[in-house]
Amino acid sequence: MSACAGVFAVSCSREQSTGAVTLQRERQLNQFLAEVERRALRIAEIAVRDRDEALDLVQDAMIKLARNYAERPCDEWTPLFYRILQNGVRDWHRRQKVRNRVMVWFGRGASGEEDFDIAANTPDPAGRSPDQELQTHEAMQRLEVSIHELPGRQREAFMLRTFEGLGVAGTAVAMGCSEGSVKTHYSRAVHTLRDKLGDHWQ
Amino acid sequence: MNEPGKDEPTGRQAKQLFDDSVERLDAATLSRLNQGRNQALAELQRSSGAVSWGRWLPATGVAAAALVTVLIMRGPEGVEAIEAAVTASDFEMLLEADSLEMFEDLEFFTLLDAVDAETNGNVG
Repeated sequence: MSACAGVFAVSCSREQSTGAVTLQRERQLNQFLAEVERRALRIAEIAVRDRDEALDLVQDAMIKLARNYAERPCDEWTPLFYRILQNGVRDWHRRQKVRNRVMVWFGRGASGEEDFDIAANTPDPAGRSPDQELQTHEAMQRLEVSIHELPGRQREAFMLRTFEGLGVAGTAVAMGCSEGSVKTHYSRAVHTLRDKLGDHWQ
Repeated sequence: MNEPGKDEPTGRQAKQLFDDSVERLDAATLSRLNQGRNQALAELQRSSGAVSWGRWLPATGVAAAALVTVLIMRGPEGVEAIEAAVTASDFEMLLEADSLEMFEDLEFFTLLDAVDAETNGNVG
């Protein structure tokens, strides 16, 4: 029976240290998610062109990261989180394709993009004039449309590298491909965007 | 190549517009993001709770194994001895309503027991 008591004591001490570690991990995860969530939302929103859908995708990614990868080192979280998010976005596009095909078959086209309202009538926190605000808003819309029109992999590479600031290695983990592919996709995306937006931006 | 926006004008301008749009997210959206984050943290607590229960399994296994070992070592004689000790009168005592009252006045009966023991000791 003394062996049992020994095991119990070890379990108790482990329990206490595990509790402290879990609390610390929870704090770290909270900090990480708070730091990344806004950019992740906008990246998902540009990819799917719908804020509600993007919010659902980001929330799913957060939950999956907490459930499956919370024990991993913190510096691995960013590429893992974006990998989960990008997989969610790809699945979403697949589902949309099927849905649109079915809708076309039933004689109803896909919903138009004119419903998409990026600014949602929010006041400008930077205190710019309405003209400047409109200019920024239009530029962002042009950018969003251009990014959205890129092939999926190029879009992912561009947004992860430019908007999230991931390195080539991190982007490769997030996209599930080689570093060479990341460089190719990114380079092609930049050239296409430069061609499309050059007139407006130069 | 670590910060592409800095090296490349298109990237730089795109990054600037993107950061601006992130800053302009409305309160309702931020609130939903906050809710999503809290759900994720709740999921973390749930999963770590399951892990800590899992850690008790070896201790429970050892205790169960020890119990089985003791029962086997005592063998059927031990079981018979326990059975013999538990008679029908014991069950009757347990089922009587008075037995509950006895528990309520436990101190009194303990005192009574001590007085009896003392008396017997004096006699003996």
